[in-house]
Amino acid sequence: MTDVTAAPARRPGLSEDWRAALTGSVASITLTFIVVVAIGWFWVGPKFLSFGNISIIGTFVIVPLIVGAFAGFALLSGVVDLSIGSMVGFSSALFALLLSLGWDPASAGAVTLLACLCFGGINAIAIVGFGAEPIAATLGMLVALRGIAWVLLGSQGSIFAFNLDMFNLVSTTVGGLPLFFLLAIALTLVAALVVTKTRVGRHIRAVGGDDKAAARAGISVKKVRVAALLLSAFGAGLGGIVYAAQLGSAARATGFGLEFQVYAALMIGGYSILRGGVGNPIGGALGLLAVAGVSNILDLKAISPYFVNIIVGLLLLAAVLLDRIRGGDAYE
Amino acid sequence: MSFNQAIETAPPAVPLTVRFGGWGTGLMLLAVWLLLIAATSLYRPDFFSHQTVLAVTFTMAVVGVLAIGQGIVAMSGGFIDLSQPANMILASLVAVRLSEAGMPLAVVIVGAILAGMLWGAFNAAIIVFGKLNPVIVTLATNFIGLAALFLVFQLAEVPIGSEIYHFGRASFLGLPAIFWPMLALVLVVGFLVPRTRYGRRMIAVGGNRAAAKARGISLKATRFATFMAAGGFVGFAAVLFAATAGPFNPGSANTLQLNIIAGVILAGISLAGGRGNFWMLLLSVGFLSTIPTSLVFFGLSSDTQSIFQGFILVIAVAIDGWRARRATP
Repeated sequence: MTDVTAAPARRPGLSEDWRAALTGSVASITLTFIVVVAIGWFWVGPKFLSFGNISIIGTFVIVPLIVGAFAGFALLSGVVDLSIGSMVGFSSALFALLLSLGWDPASAGAVTLLACLCFGGINAIAIVGFGAEPIAATLGMLVALRGIAWVLLGSQGSIFAFNLDMFNLVSTTVGGLPLFFLLAIALTLVAALVVTKTRVGRHIRAVGGDDKAAARAGISVKKVRVAALLLSAFGAGLGGIVYAAQLGSAARATGFGLEFQVYAALMIGGYSILRGGVGNPIGGALGLLAVAGVSNILDLKAISPYFVNIIVGLLLLAAVLLDRIRGGDAYE
Repeated sequence: MSFNQAIETAPPAVPLTVRFGGWGTGLMLLAVWLLLIAATSLYRPDFFSHQTVLAVTFTMAVVGVLAIGQGIVAMSGGFIDLSQPANMILASLVAVRLSEAGMPLAVVIVGAILAGMLWGAFNAAIIVFGKLNPVIVTLATNFIGLAALFLVFQLAEVPIGSEIYHFGRASFLGLPAIFWPMLALVLVVGFLVPRTRYGRRMIAVGGNRAAAKARGISLKATRFATFMAAGGFVGFAAVLFAATAGPFNPGSANTLQLNIIAGVILAGISLAGGRGNFWMLLLSVGFLSTIPTSLVFFGLSSDTQSIFQGFILVIAVAIDGWRARRATP
């Protein structure tokens, strides 16, 4: 029955690999990405692909790329972590607070990441330990962390914590592109290698594809999911620190609603928030870049940014429909 | 195939703990609520006042009606309707425009409910014809809907002095007028769902889709019916919201969402579908609506409110998951 068809396929041979590459999720997001670039090229003109404009998109998309690369592991293992947006806000608030108290960036960063891991651990206890519905449990964490971040930010609603060294670091450009953008791309490629080529990656996909079969195969489902939720919290923590370094401050709006943007883009890129085992970090990154490209085009054309949400919403519906046609679970 | 599954997964007999689980949930909720009230009034004896009762029942009204809609979706196996904020703002806008046109209150209410049902039908159409999961569909339609509403209006308000304006400020038997329709709706829905054919169909589909289908219940028709009914409740909640909110913008309903999901889960209406009692919503929504007032009396800022509400939801969902795990060995 459905279980049989949903079970992850055996490792495909080379020709099957190629067929999957042409019809799979990465192919459709690559097409979407090319269409977005083409529309930008024809509508905005060559300016769209200039180094200056790509730098702007790149700077804008660094944090979503980092957060998305790590959150993708949670999606692959079959649990969704909605708390990442608030986690980014919390992380930037705590990091900025510690810096403003005179801590050095290294120890402030370490403490911030540790705190994020603790909250990721609470997610893991609720979801893996008690069997809580991931969407609802992490929705609760989202709101709780937003409250904590706002309390940390105090009555002013923002903390100014400009650090020149850090700002110079995140603003470094290599060959005309922001260094951190290139690092985020490198991180995506490493994540893609881990997911597709290593044993750990296969275990994660197996757990997400069919947890009962994975458990019978001797994989510890609980361990994999706990690790995935911790990774997702870690990535969001890292993203918050980069935000604080970029902006030189943390504010109430930092990270607000980021989870929906990231997950919409990841689903457009081939991930699924309802079943694990599908998706690829490269597809996810292309999804984030496509969405960033759309908002950049609308920005350059001075069109209301609300249209971005409408386009993202429609793309999201199209993506889940495609996923369903490709063999995702049909809902009746 | 579906027939097989129906046999495999049909529960042999309902264990006693599960059958009386509803009352256990109720007692636990009542105990937690009373504990909160006791703790607050020990700290601040002036918590016991008519003012507090007014504040709590006022908050309960909109949240309670929305929770009925969310409960219907959850119980029928639709998980969560994440598009309630967009739906409510749309229906509120309809209510505002109708009352600006000088329509009587009855027309305003009918218009808002129809708008809500139309939205529900729109969601159901995508879910049924695309065979897509409601969580993602409503996530996307909320995205699209709120953005579209921002393009249509920035700020809206019911005209001062109109019928709906007075309804929002009226009181009846010492409580806000908007509280009474909520109470009546929860009582009526809680009474009718387990006792009517439609209600039992909804529970059957939520509990075991394959078994319900094998028994000849149309999943598509049930899905349309539940989402449109849920949308209708959101439409009525929008009337209460528009009557009391003052000027609102398309983002004004976003903060309500979490409280409603928490209320539904705390009430024991499982997100897995097929289980729950709507009457429990009075206790869970009452408890959740007391928290903001309590925090004010404890002298805590309104920011801490989200910390409490968030962690309460995490705990509630954990208990729900643990319970579901025990119920299905």
